[in-house]
Order: sequence, then C-alpha cells, then structure tokens
Amino acid sequence: MIFQKPSPKIALENNEEPQEYISGVTQQPDEVETVVGPSVNVEGDFASEGNIVVKGTVTGSVRTSRYLLVEPGAKIVANVRAGSAKIAGEVKGNMKVQDSLELTSTARILGDIEVKVLSVEPGALIFGKIAMAGMESGEAKPSRRTYRKNETAEEMSED
Amino acid sequence: MYVYLYDNFVKNKKYASLIQALEVRLTDYGIAGKILHLNNYIDAKPVIDDEIKRGAKTVVIVGNDKTFGYVLSRAATCECTFGFLPIGFENTIAEVLGIPVGEEAADVLARRRKEYLDVGWVNNRYFVSQLHVHPAKVEVIYDERFKASAIDKMEVVVCNFQPFYWKKNDNDQEQQVVHPQDGKLEAFLRPLTKKRWWGYKYEDPSVFPFEEMEIIGEKPFTMEADGKISKEVRVKIKLAKQKVEMIVGRNRKF
Repeated sequence: MIFQKPSPKIALENNEEPQEYISGVTQQPDEVETVVGPSVNVEGDFASEGNIVVKGTVTGSVRTSRYLLVEPGAKIVANVRAGSAKIAGEVKGNMKVQDSLELTSTARILGDIEVKVLSVEPGALIFGKIAMAGMESGEAKPSRRTYRKNETAEEMSED
Repeated sequence: MYVYLYDNFVKNKKYASLIQALEVRLTDYGIAGKILHLNNYIDAKPVIDDEIKRGAKTVVIVGNDKTFGYVLSRAATCECTFGFLPIGFENTIAEVLGIPVGEEAADVLARRRKEYLDVGWVNNRYFVSQLHVHPAKVEVIYDERFKASAIDKMEVVVCNFQPFYWKKNDNDQEQQVVHPQDGKLEAFLRPLTKKRWWGYKYEDPSVFPFEEMEIIGEKPFTMEADGKISKEVRVKIKLAKQKVEMIVGRNRKF
C-alpha cells in the first residue's frame, strides 16, 4: 500500500522465534536471561536464576541452577556452580556442574572440576582434578552404619 | 465516571477530526466524561487526586508515549483505573498494551479488559516505559551483590515493558532487538570503546534482569526517564510490582 500510515516498529511482532532472544548467541537450552557482554567487568557474587552467557570478565563467584555459556575470549576468575555448562573461554577456579559440562577446543580450565557428564574437545586445556559422580574414590570411607546400644561392631561383622 | 487527560499537542488542527470522531464514539459507548488539558506546568497527580475525590473511577490518558510516561510517572500511586487513547506518532507503548492508534482505541476502552502493570521506581518517582542513562563513566551495582563496570564510558538502558532496540554501528542497517522479560526490570549495558583516532564505538550489550540496582557516576550523568531529562550522580532503581491498573487490549504483548 502506497498511502499506508507510518507505524512504529515493534520488534515483538515477530514472535515466530521466541528462543532467539539475543542475536549472535549460539543455541542454548531455554532462553537467555543474563548476558555479560565484551568489555564489561563483573565483580562480586554473580548469581542468576536463569541462563548466563559470559563474553566479558567475571571475578568473584558465578552461580546458576541452569545453563552457563562462556564464549571464546571470555574470562572467569571465580568458583563456578551451574546446572550445565559449555566453556569456550578461560576459567580460573573450581567448577561444580550438576549435569553436563562441555569443553571446546579453546577452553582453558585452571581448577578442579566436579561433574556428572564431561565432554572434552581436542585442544582444550585442563589443569586440576576431575571428579565424576557414579564412581567410588580409592580411599576407604568410614562406615556410616549406626549400631544399637547392646550391639558391637564385631557382632555386626559376624552377621 | 471517566476523566480524560488530553495532551497539549492534540489541540493541533490535524488531530481535530480524529478527536471529534473519537469523542462521538465514546459518547456512543456511554463512556464520555470530563476533559482536562495538560501542559508542561501541570503535575498530573494532584489533578487526578482531585478528580478521584469528585468520584472519578477511570482516568484516560489521551496522547502519545510521552504523555503516557508524563502522567504515570507521578500518578502511578493514584487509586483508579487507567486507560489510554493513543493519538498521532510515537506510540510504541500503545502497541505493547494492544491498543490501536486512533478511533478504534475507544473500543478497547469500552471493553474494560484490565491488567496490573509493573512499573519502575527511580529516585522517588515512577517510570513506565524506559529509563536511559546517556554514555558516561558509571558503575552499576545489582541487588547489592555484584557490580558491573566498563573500561571507558557506558550507556545504560532500563526497560520495563518496551523492547530495547540497538544497532552495532551507524552503518548497520538491521536493528537488533532484545525483549524484556516479565516480573523483572531489564538493564542493558553498552560499553563504548575508543576508535583509533577519535570517536567511540558501541560494543554488544550486556543484559541483566534485576529487581534493584544502583547507578553511580564519577561525575554527574544525564538520565532520561519517560522523556524527562535530569542530571544525577547516584540513582537507585527498583521494581514496583503490579502498581498500575490499566485497561489493555486483547493483542497486548505480555
């Protein structure tokens, strides 16, 4: 229409791709909520209820119950706790990931990792201990079984 | 009883026929009421409070985004239902609320579909659509837990229910968009880095959803909230949940 009224551009019109909240961000589970952009420094207890994308620098601690993405060139100097994570940047600190952790070829990890499922691309660098759930450690753990008052440990072993 | 707050610009001749048609339709629906004209020197809150005392139950803002922000920045605490009749250009809020621009807005008003809206609170006043801190050396503290800063200047935009539009640079044809999420305010931080010789270029924005945040500047910085410009050194921004009862359209974007 030639004589159409000018209307304000409302971006919400294109609801076809609700997943693509931020352009340039690779596909992640659910939608992106918090983004630390390049040349932004975050200091302190950085916690979020939703997904986190780090492209800049974070110092202190990082916590999310959901997905964490550290992009190439990003740097985290902090202990990290996340539901699942994909690391393509640098992390200096211990990592505790509940579900799966993916390390790409550009990843640099300087710290211990505690994870359920780990995948490492050739070229990724790790300096630290890796502990994975589902496997007993070599050290004998003290028994947690409780005894009744009139029952000794020897009696229990005879049974 | 309905009270209509007309912005000054609707007196313009080019809107005369539209206003007339709108008033006819409002009369047809039986929701015509008292008309008050706003200008720059009128504080909307005492005006609305007076009308509420006289029995007004619904206050309808007639104008554009600026009028909407101007009235609600002061009158968000008034105990009445708000309506909106968008006129002319710069009506992005109306589209978010699902209210068509022009005569058809009266239909939405007559249907009285009500929703409670979240508003932002900044230094003792409210903002509805957007708060903009012009590029300056500032530091942002979120929920008193962590702070975000940049090497040089930084632009901060806080969105309530309007999307945030941005371009990578002046040559970028395509406008990038980030949508605000419900239940929280959204802060968009865009650091500026120096170009080789002179000028600055914008970096990709950072997005932080928050309920409380503080912006602290080394020097006084310019802040624009719903079109009102002021100079500040320290700004505290909070979310006031479900503060405004608003008549909205079926095609609202939230």
